[in-house]
Amino acid sequence: MSEASVLNLVLWLPVAGMALVTLLPAGRDGTVRWLSFWLLLAQFFLALWLTLRFDPTVAGLQFATSVPWIPGWGVRYAIGLDGYNVLLVLLTCFLGPLVVAGAATAITTQVRFFHAMVFFIQFAMLGAFVAQDLLLFYIFWEAMLIPMFLMIGIWGGQRRLYATFKFFLYTAFGSILMLAAVIYLVWWQSQATGTLSFAFADLLRTPPPREAQMWLFAAFALSFAIKVPMAPLHTWLPDAHVEAPTAGSVILAGVLLKMGTYGFMKLGFPLFPEATRAFEPLLLALAVIGIVYGACLALVQTDIKKIIAYSSISHLGYVMLGLVSLDLVGVQGAILQMVSHGLVAGGLFLMVGMIYERCHTRELAAYGGLAKLMPVYSVFFAILMLASIGLPTTSGFAGEFLVLLGAFNAAWRQHLAGSSYALVLNAIAVSGVVLGALYMLWFGQRFLFGASKAPHAPLHDLVPREKAILVAILAAVFLLGLFPQEAMKRTELAARDFQQLVQRAPAHLSLR
Amino acid sequence: MNWQIFFAAMLPQHLLLAGIVVLLLAEILLPRPQGAPLLAALAVAAAAAAAFLLQRASFQGTPFPGQYAAHPTQMLAVLVMLLLALPAILLARAEFRAPRYYALLLSSLYGASLLPGSESFLTLFLGLETMSLPVYALVVMAFRRTQAPEAALKYLVLGGVATALLLLGVSLQFGATGSLALGRFESLMAAPSLVALTAVTLVVLAFFIKASIVPFHTWAPDAYEAASLPATAYMVVLVKAAVLFALLRVLGQASVTGLLVGVFAVLSVASIVWGNLAAMRQTSLRRLIAYSSVAHAGYLVLALLGPAGGRFQSVTLYLLAYGAMNLLLLASLPADEDDERRDRVEGLRGLFQRSPYAAVMIAVAVLSLAGIPPLPGFIAKFLVFAQVMAAGHVALAVTGLVASYLGIYFYLRLVQLMFMSPAPAHAGAPASTGAVDVATGVLCLVPAVAVSLFPGWVLGQL
Repeated sequence: MSEASVLNLVLWLPVAGMALVTLLPAGRDGTVRWLSFWLLLAQFFLALWLTLRFDPTVAGLQFATSVPWIPGWGVRYAIGLDGYNVLLVLLTCFLGPLVVAGAATAITTQVRFFHAMVFFIQFAMLGAFVAQDLLLFYIFWEAMLIPMFLMIGIWGGQRRLYATFKFFLYTAFGSILMLAAVIYLVWWQSQATGTLSFAFADLLRTPPPREAQMWLFAAFALSFAIKVPMAPLHTWLPDAHVEAPTAGSVILAGVLLKMGTYGFMKLGFPLFPEATRAFEPLLLALAVIGIVYGACLALVQTDIKKIIAYSSISHLGYVMLGLVSLDLVGVQGAILQMVSHGLVAGGLFLMVGMIYERCHTRELAAYGGLAKLMPVYSVFFAILMLASIGLPTTSGFAGEFLVLLGAFNAAWRQHLAGSSYALVLNAIAVSGVVLGALYMLWFGQRFLFGASKAPHAPLHDLVPREKAILVAILAAVFLLGLFPQEAMKRTELAARDFQQLVQRAPAHLSLR
Repeated sequence: MNWQIFFAAMLPQHLLLAGIVVLLLAEILLPRPQGAPLLAALAVAAAAAAAFLLQRASFQGTPFPGQYAAHPTQMLAVLVMLLLALPAILLARAEFRAPRYYALLLSSLYGASLLPGSESFLTLFLGLETMSLPVYALVVMAFRRTQAPEAALKYLVLGGVATALLLLGVSLQFGATGSLALGRFESLMAAPSLVALTAVTLVVLAFFIKASIVPFHTWAPDAYEAASLPATAYMVVLVKAAVLFALLRVLGQASVTGLLVGVFAVLSVASIVWGNLAAMRQTSLRRLIAYSSVAHAGYLVLALLGPAGGRFQSVTLYLLAYGAMNLLLLASLPADEDDERRDRVEGLRGLFQRSPYAAVMIAVAVLSLAGIPPLPGFIAKFLVFAQVMAAGHVALAVTGLVASYLGIYFYLRLVQLMFMSPAPAHAGAPASTGAVDVATGVLCLVPAVAVSLFPGWVLGQL
């Protein structure tokens, strides 16, 4: 078996899982859960093997497959791993089995369909990460909406219909403009270069003229910014997070939000370098606003899920800050921060799900002193909380620190060149670190300490299944925090490639 | 006339005709005829097989010079219509047992199958009327709704207007060029004279009425709602397909240019916008499908603006995806004795708990119609807009895409009702799924899967 087929296997395994789960006779919920878990675990080990086999010294695609798909329109089924997506693929496959394990007792209705949807979204997310063809990417990107729509709508909370429609309609609006931009971009390319192709590599080679870039970038950026989400386009996120079942929240926070930042990194910025440079001050401002505004909103929430939802907005602001800096360290930090946030926010949402299953409320005021009521839970929660703040040795520290380092590197260069704009904004961004510590610690104080109260005392502490899930997440958090070099060496060439693509001189191509 | 060519070139039509004759004989001679749906399905399947073989063999022949010609492209269009007709016949079997229904349906199909091979307006007109007249009868045959005669009359009147416009346009062409040949129409489209422009506009508008393009769409919601479900399925899918193939044939190799671009663009965008907006407010499922089909007619007309080369491909692919998905939707609706209750959008409430298979099929169908990937509707929509962009109408493509966004909501609402709303207490028993139901579903799903997984291969066959 060739190595490229392993990546294909990782991508298509969920489709097989979906078929198997649907074919199982009704009423075999236990079988469905175990089958899904083992399949996703197998997928994780395959992805891990790919990550370890990934050669960091090779620029460009590895494990690549590329076959014509719609030959008349220059569309190919092209997938592959590179420094941009290798860690995100691993993250997606890592969270898959944990999501299924976490939902073992929470999802009791339509179990087969639920697992089919988990497989569906795993397939779509992985596809979007590994796709190397713009139409293929778009198909996976948009296909994600269907399972998430159903997941929130069927197994969600009280206001699930509102939340799920808002989620779908918000994101679909961005996507439809992106589709227009995709078609225009490819059409322009075919006119200018004479080859009709949707391949990333071909499209990256010749950026369109400046004015077209502005429009195209705006369309792509709108779509990606909604997904990240960047303020002021973030309002769908808190609703979706709060109403989604735990599994939905974990997938949303863990992987789906990274689609937006990955989109910026892989497509938005490199395809339109001039527009990126022109929009850079705006994007920088929006990133900083996201960091501070998300943190401030997290501070005043009374719903536990909302605190973590707003903290996601803040943390993804750092990712954008790192990308916008165009600094090598900053970009690598941004990738690290994406993975770290996936682990930490995913873990926190899983923990919120665990307490919700016991008490059926997410009101922070209903809880207190959990440290005494559920000591094991509290220890895990405290560690994840500190990882979210970005304490050294955790993955959160590595990501945030590198992002800020990179951002200041870039800002200082600009300062020396005569513009202090970035420097001022970065100084404000740093305050987000303090705010982050503030809302998280305050949240932890009210949640874990103080007078003991909970809606359903006595509470039973974590069961072995839950402990195992959290141990896996914490192991990943510390591995990434202690050995970021292992991750960074795999992303370095991609970060350099990104930098070079965005900073290249304008091409002089015009319509023939 | 060369009889061999006559026999071969129109073999699909002959097989349909044989089916019609047998069905009519059964209607007249047998007191309680049985197996009419099966017989009709067999006739259509045989015709489809004949069309397939002739197409594969790249058969070319002119049984009636200047009037009718068989060639691979034409055969392909016939094949697509016959393939879509098969599930449309199968889903009628529960409601209609009498051979007369199928005799009418096959007659209409016969007319439709003449359209892609027409060489002159005479044959085209013959085909168009042969296709339309039985449909008026199909609408009124429902008898389950008191509105049926009214709807049929409305449809008939507007159909009459379309016929009149077509004849007017054609007579102008005859006056200007002295010929009824369709080839002359192509040259007329490029001609700068006022007569030419009037003739072309009149002909195009006649087709727009038949395709239910805004503002000539008003017959569609009434006719679709009042007709019985199988007749609706036939109208939504096959009448639309036949009209579009006829329009493609009329346009030939000519590009849409000049003032006509404006007519096409404004009316198609208006159809997309209005169809999608109006569909949001419907409580009757068939009215909703009617308005959605108005919007889809808009996309199809937009595709006609593309370069002549890829136009046939993208329209055919669109019709295949659109037809298969609408048929899947209609075939999966739960059965109900009360036609009006069956038609209610609210009736879908909680369907997923009652019959998950049907709910999933309907969800696949509507999400595909909404153009959400990875379902076939997306590839079809993508090709349409890529065509429009390739013809240089950038602003129009963007407008059309944004307008298509309006269509997502009401399709999602159907999914919401089925999956996210509790079933009403008095909900009917789960629908039993027989072998024929499964066959109907499979017949709709096969083209859908082919289009979404192997669009390149499908386009290669077109």
